[in-house]
Amino acid sequence: MNSNLLVIIAASAIFYGTPLFFAALGGIMTERSGVLNLGVEGTMLLGAVSGAWASQHVPGSAWFTVLASILIGMAAGALTSTLLAFLCITLRTNQTVAGLAITIFAGGVGLSSYFANIWDVAGAPVDRQIRKLDVLGLADAPIVGPILFNQTILTYVSWVLVVLASVYLFRTRFGLQLRAVGESPQTADAMGIDVVKYRYVHTIAGGALAGLGGVYYSLAIVPSWVDGMTKGAGWIAIALVIFGFWRPSIALLGAYLFGALQSLGSTLKARNVNISGDLLDALPFLMTIVVLVLISTRFAHRRLGAPAALGVPYEREER
Amino acid sequence: MRSPVRFERRLEQPKWLNWAIPVFSLLAALILGAIVLFATGKNPLEVYDRIFERGFAGTRALSGSIKTATPLAFTGLCAAVSFRMGLINIGGEGQFYMGAVGATWAALAVGDGLPTGALVIVMSLSGMLWGGFYAAIVGVLRARFNTNEIITSLMMNYLAAIFLNYLIYNSTSYWRDPESRNFPAGKPISQRADWNFFEIGGINVPLSFLIAILAAVAVWVLYKRTRFGFEVGVIADSPKAARYAGIRTTSTIVVVLALSGALAGLGGAADVGNFRGLLDSKGLQLSGYGYTGIVVAALARFNPISTIVVAVLIGGLTNAGFALQGPDFPSGLVGTLQGLILFTAVAGEVLVKYRIRRNRRTVAVTA
Amino acid sequence: MKSAVRMTGVVKRFPGVVANDGVELDIRAGEVHALLGENGAGKSTLSNILTGLYRPDEGTVEIDGRVVHFSSPRDALDAGVGMVHQHFRLVSTFTVAENVVLGEPGSPLMIDQSSVARRVAELSDRYGLAVDPSARIWQLSVGEQQRVEILKVLYRGAKVLILDEPTAVLTPIEADALFATLRAMVAEGRTVVFISHKLDEVMKVSDRVTVLRGGKTVGTVDTATTSPRELASLMVGRSVEFTRVVRDNPADRSTVVLSLDGVSARDDRGREALHAVSLTVGRGEILGVAGVAGNGQRELAEAISGMRPLSSGRIDVAGDPVQSGRARSAIAKGIAHIPEDRLHTGLASSHSVEDNLALKNYRSSDLSRFRLLRRKVIRSQAAGLVQNYDVKTPTTTTPVRLLSGGNVQKVLLAREFSSLPKVLIAASPTRGLDVGAIETVRARLVEAAESGVGILLISEDLDEILSLADRIVVMYEGRIVDEVDAESADRQRLGLTMGGSAVSGALS
Repeated sequence: MNSNLLVIIAASAIFYGTPLFFAALGGIMTERSGVLNLGVEGTMLLGAVSGAWASQHVPGSAWFTVLASILIGMAAGALTSTLLAFLCITLRTNQTVAGLAITIFAGGVGLSSYFANIWDVAGAPVDRQIRKLDVLGLADAPIVGPILFNQTILTYVSWVLVVLASVYLFRTRFGLQLRAVGESPQTADAMGIDVVKYRYVHTIAGGALAGLGGVYYSLAIVPSWVDGMTKGAGWIAIALVIFGFWRPSIALLGAYLFGALQSLGSTLKARNVNISGDLLDALPFLMTIVVLVLISTRFAHRRLGAPAALGVPYEREER
Repeated sequence: MRSPVRFERRLEQPKWLNWAIPVFSLLAALILGAIVLFATGKNPLEVYDRIFERGFAGTRALSGSIKTATPLAFTGLCAAVSFRMGLINIGGEGQFYMGAVGATWAALAVGDGLPTGALVIVMSLSGMLWGGFYAAIVGVLRARFNTNEIITSLMMNYLAAIFLNYLIYNSTSYWRDPESRNFPAGKPISQRADWNFFEIGGINVPLSFLIAILAAVAVWVLYKRTRFGFEVGVIADSPKAARYAGIRTTSTIVVVLALSGALAGLGGAADVGNFRGLLDSKGLQLSGYGYTGIVVAALARFNPISTIVVAVLIGGLTNAGFALQGPDFPSGLVGTLQGLILFTAVAGEVLVKYRIRRNRRTVAVTA
Repeated sequence: MKSAVRMTGVVKRFPGVVANDGVELDIRAGEVHALLGENGAGKSTLSNILTGLYRPDEGTVEIDGRVVHFSSPRDALDAGVGMVHQHFRLVSTFTVAENVVLGEPGSPLMIDQSSVARRVAELSDRYGLAVDPSARIWQLSVGEQQRVEILKVLYRGAKVLILDEPTAVLTPIEADALFATLRAMVAEGRTVVFISHKLDEVMKVSDRVTVLRGGKTVGTVDTATTSPRELASLMVGRSVEFTRVVRDNPADRSTVVLSLDGVSARDDRGREALHAVSLTVGRGEILGVAGVAGNGQRELAEAISGMRPLSSGRIDVAGDPVQSGRARSAIAKGIAHIPEDRLHTGLASSHSVEDNLALKNYRSSDLSRFRLLRRKVIRSQAAGLVQNYDVKTPTTTTPVRLLSGGNVQKVLLAREFSSLPKVLIAASPTRGLDVGAIETVRARLVEAAESGVGILLISEDLDEILSLADRIVVMYEGRIVDEVDAESADRQRLGLTMGGSAVSGALS
């Protein structure tokens, strides 16, 4: 393998890893508050289809349309996870089944496909895409150019977000209270923290981030709408939350690892490297299982920082 | 700030909830679906009327619905068996594929030498083994390493799909029809391996639907009447109590997942033997039986017998969806309705656990 | 004198139970006011109402003469009412300082760690609550964690502190230190509400006592003019006396039914929680295991009953080895076990009474044949046991979680005793029960010992151990640090060894 190939792989790892990171960051926010969102896949798809619709229908300059598409995709994600929040937090339903319901409802053969049909977004490529930038004119610089200076605006946003999210979680009072809600809602409640509010806000914010990841698929990666286009990215993001030990910075690295695996097939095929495409396609899923197994041994979970109250509905007047 | 209602934990769960919840869930889902339809410029009544007509009105519609219901009954049982123990096996999809692969293999290997009856048994067993083993991997990882079965079982759905593509499109495997160079397809199984249909009251009932009913009864007996079922119940209730009582939790996890996968695999075998007659990679992946099976099982409240009834209901809906697919009946509508049913079924479970009471204003008495 | 807290006609209902039924309470500013009552008398519900966790269905709460309607703990904290919960409300992965500032209103962004640490240090000095602000909660002992709970409430400026059974987790010496802290707080004009069911503590620390029974206020008395005897009869509605039980058949210590030899085991976090424990229990002997909770008692019980694998050592029942970590082997060898957590370990709480009564013998040929359950036999077994053990349940198909605490324990006893065990491990068998149920449980234990069962009685309640056991061992940090004869046992010495102080002549 020559160094040129490695550069391409590194560049596409970041390109393909960015939406995974957004979704994983959303998962971190949601799970830190103690809510398990298994509806990420469906949420991403609704974000993707809404974003694709907006990029075809919102008038204005290219920049404005793209920005509007991103915001509309995020709003769709936020709306979807509001539904999850209502089920899990207010109605205290089983979070696993509620999340699955979101994925089935919104997923590849559900609402996202229905919207795509009635809005007529399927098939045609979106004309207002999120394109790769040439930052400071350095895109052609050797090695670092394609990797660092030739990414989409959202990749740069994600780098800002990883810092902001880490500071928020570990350095602010909001973050402290959020973690308390996820670790011990009883304690948080007794100390006057509004458990329900924290859970709602972070579940909805998490959905918006998943929606953002979805928009990235329909406006940057593909870029057009295809039914079920995220192809399991939402599920990989859920696994990434665990690999990232519920920390944004590690999740970012994990996302790039999986981005590399996802893009490996097309990268190698394009360069006529003779290797089974199916095996490469299977790699991200195989890796997910392998890494999950590695870190899920007996005592690992608590040590790695899983919120103690994850997936447990909070109920004050329980007797 | 006081909310107008509050939840009060029910002390006992009245029996009537067992049927009331699914019925009301379904009604609520239809109402929500009507809102979605109305909001997107469709006439809900018209759509529902057509779904009913194509799904349930008359023997022809019912024949089609029962045919569609058959795989859903198997994947529904697959979900019910594992969810009852608190194991979230969402890998019914992949296990179904594997069952289809296994059954096709058996039919291609011995199809010419055996009578139909024996072939049905051989194909069923092979499908169950493939599906069961595939799910058992998830079980072993969960039992041995405590690996979250939700994500692993889902990842294995994607792996199974890639495996199907490999068998039919990207290789010259045993399953692929060598005659079909240009349009890759599965190799058709022998005529003798075709499973029967029975005519009951004018409705065409596939043999595999009857097998599904038998399987449901067997699962019911297993969970209600046997030592194994008792142990599963205790583990689901409290893993600590199970450990305390000397129940082997780890092996039970593996067995339950294997059983769950075997049921999905049996569905895969039926898909090949009773319906498609070959390993149809694309058709299987488009159907999404495994995911719909979760909806079926949830609405049936994970009761195996109700699962069959609900499968016919959802099967009718799906069948009508296929029949009506077109410009004014967009794809995705049926999936949306199924998702809504799952939501309302999940939300309905709240009513099983809690009573919803109105909050009265506290009367302030000043002494 | 001015009232700090006044509750009038407070009613709180839960599904199926009236927890508070017209409670009257008047707490004066600057006193230690004890709230005395049995388990289930409504003390905890009352304090949860006072701290805004529950809202009363009827009645009024006044703080400093003003009627208040708390709808959340924040309202209560703002009004100066803070609670030290029995089950600590602490985030175990956080530091002491982080726990203390949690929920404090203030700048939403950065937290000034150093000023927090300074204020925490200042408060700990003033009230003798020594604790390191930068330590993480899970690293602290239970006593230290309680100090954090108190600091947390003081930091928020609480004028009224409610302490729910604060001594349950403390050694006698730590309890005395707590009482000194409480007096110091009262001396500064704060008000303390001390919830307890232990008479001697109430006598020792309080100025006045309000007694609750069955959710109602029975009366309020001055501590100086009352006696433990009077309080006890107020509390249970009749006079009670616990004395040392004398048994008909003496223990046969020469026939060993249970022996542990160098048994070590890990806790759930993987740390060694039992260090080379050796002990023996004779036929018909009751061996009391004293100690503060969390010193390895749970791991000891679980190791013997096969729920927890041993990292070394061996366990024999009547000379027959028990397989490590195999509950089935322990059951087969004749070990019965009444676990601490009855409803979730000892029982499958959503299952019916009859299923729970069959939980250990459903595998026997009586109850199942060809792996099929014999439902009729299971039902008739249940009917017999329910009658023999006087379990009050509507039917044998009622889920056990719907039964009262005493009846839950009876279901467990019925199952464990009817298996005719050689050895019985009883972990806190009377905790949380009312007086009537306590008497029943103790009588059953004595009866079992008389019939030759060797009993390991693990309890934090020293009185219980002193009144029932033949011999007492003390556990501290996973080791047996002392062994004494119950009849000649000296409370003070036990108290010291429970707190880890070495006693000359104690076992090493």
